[in-house]
Amino acid sequence: MARYLRRRILTGILIILVSLVINFMLIHLAPGNPISLLAGKDNPSQEMIDALTEKYGLNDPIHIQFISYVKTLLKGDLGYSIMSSEPVSKLIFEKVGPTLLLALTSILLAVVIGTASGIFAARKRGSLFDVTMNGLSYVFDSTPSFWLGLMLILIFASKLKIFPTAGMVDLRAQHEGIAKAVDILWHLTLPLITVTLIQIPYYFRIARASVIQTMSEDFITTFRAAGMKENKIFKKYIFKNAILPTITVFGINLAYVISGVAIIEIVFAWPGMGRLMMTAISKRDYPLLMGIYLILSVSIAVCMIVVDLIYAVIDPRIRYD
Amino acid sequence: MNKSGDFFTKMKRMLSMINQVRQLKIGIILLTIIILLALFAPLIATHDPFSLNDDMVNPPSKNYLLGTDGLGRDIFSGILYGARTSIVIGVVAASISGIVGTLIGGISGFYGGKIDSVVSEIINVFLMMPTFFLILIIVALFGSSMFNVMVVIGITTWTGNARLMRAQALSLKQRTFVKSLENIGESKIKTLIKHIIPNGIFPIIANTTMNISEAILTESGLSFLGLGDPNVMSWGQMVYNGKSYLTNGWWISTFSGAAIVLTVLAFYLIGDGMNNILSPKLNDNK
Repeated sequence: MARYLRRRILTGILIILVSLVINFMLIHLAPGNPISLLAGKDNPSQEMIDALTEKYGLNDPIHIQFISYVKTLLKGDLGYSIMSSEPVSKLIFEKVGPTLLLALTSILLAVVIGTASGIFAARKRGSLFDVTMNGLSYVFDSTPSFWLGLMLILIFASKLKIFPTAGMVDLRAQHEGIAKAVDILWHLTLPLITVTLIQIPYYFRIARASVIQTMSEDFITTFRAAGMKENKIFKKYIFKNAILPTITVFGINLAYVISGVAIIEIVFAWPGMGRLMMTAISKRDYPLLMGIYLILSVSIAVCMIVVDLIYAVIDPRIRYD
Repeated sequence: MNKSGDFFTKMKRMLSMINQVRQLKIGIILLTIIILLALFAPLIATHDPFSLNDDMVNPPSKNYLLGTDGLGRDIFSGILYGARTSIVIGVVAASISGIVGTLIGGISGFYGGKIDSVVSEIINVFLMMPTFFLILIIVALFGSSMFNVMVVIGITTWTGNARLMRAQALSLKQRTFVKSLENIGESKIKTLIKHIIPNGIFPIIANTTMNISEAILTESGLSFLGLGDPNVMSWGQMVYNGKSYLTNGWWISTFSGAAIVLTVLAFYLIGDGMNNILSPKLNDNK
């Protein structure tokens, strides 16, 4: 177990390092030169350019620059946003809550609904439910999330006027306490449905496939031949084996969801990191973009390691590898 | 004579296989229609998709089959031309990812040793990265020409293919015909290119078809965020433009988005159908 743990943590550190390198490379390769920006347009003298280059350490060899970049990051300094000149870390920290609320709730819903329906469909293979769910899973897999969101707005907000079109709280009403929570939930519904619907096929298919796979294993046939009750076989042997791949997928999906939620946030004007990212793109606020990317990569790496550890605890085959 | 007969039996076998797998059949029919529409877009289109006119935000009618957008451009014609963009981006990006993945995965699995452990670790790292976000940043930094979008999608998504090819190479390596090639002194690189890759390519082709779907979705997502190539007609951009007219011009976003769904679905079904042929255990039609 200790060996396995060490290996996973090493991979995690590697991921963070690679993200850092990519981030650093992007900053350096990006068009535009910070010195010419700082020096201004009015005929900057060569001495001034040299002095500025020296001051910001741009003359140093690339690996020294990289090390000093990492050192700054370790102090929690992600640089300053170009548009608001506030620290990037502060801007991101303010927006992380709504994003996590949307992403984590939707993942939980999708895992439960997707896995349950997948298992059910596999047990009733070929039934109307199975066929319909299969068809639906293809369609939702092919649907761009932002378009699904727009269509939900069109139907439920514009035409039926059941849910609000955008935002996280009703700005005209100053709700407090429970009323505020209800208000947020009200605004959360449509974006939540969108993200959940997009993810369900994923879990549905994994659960269905792994149940079918397990059901065709020899040991199950043996149990059946020995006359064990179908329900008992399922509860004791199939369910446990079939649920395992879901956990792996969960970890991989996490990365996808957190960045996928961003685009949904823009559709619904949900005040999370996606909105922040969008403004960062349109204003070409590179430090902010890099900061968001870095935070995302690091949190995903941490989540993945946690998921892997849970997996190792549940499935002994992994840890004795 | 014999050869053409052979060809016909082969075609017949392929057709019956396609007929047996429902997804494949529906996907191929759908894709054929879409490709034909894209090919003959100039003949079918009722208007020039780029030309502006005064009939702004017109609902679907006889003149404008699917309505017009906020600048008076015909949606139907726009969708036809947009099909070209989506298919080209999808196919090129997925092919880049397929080629890179096959080569790296093949080398890693076939040569083994240190190369293999390094490549496996790289694949692990890539799997855990927020790829869409990376693509987004690169496109935002370096410009959103169609070429950039295709290359960036291609080089950030090769890991899935590499994993598949690596597994194929690992298993093919143990087969007798590869071992005998080694014994008669065939060079390693030749064995890899002439025997390992052709024999193990089928899962990668299936996966690449799925990747076309992913690439089309990614491109439409980028376009929806305003990071599409402004010089071409793209479905994602049409959805994006329609967003501001959602209440008084629902047709703009609705139809262009539906076009994305259908095209992605077609590639998806084909890819999944191929996978079903590969692993018949999960095939529902038998």
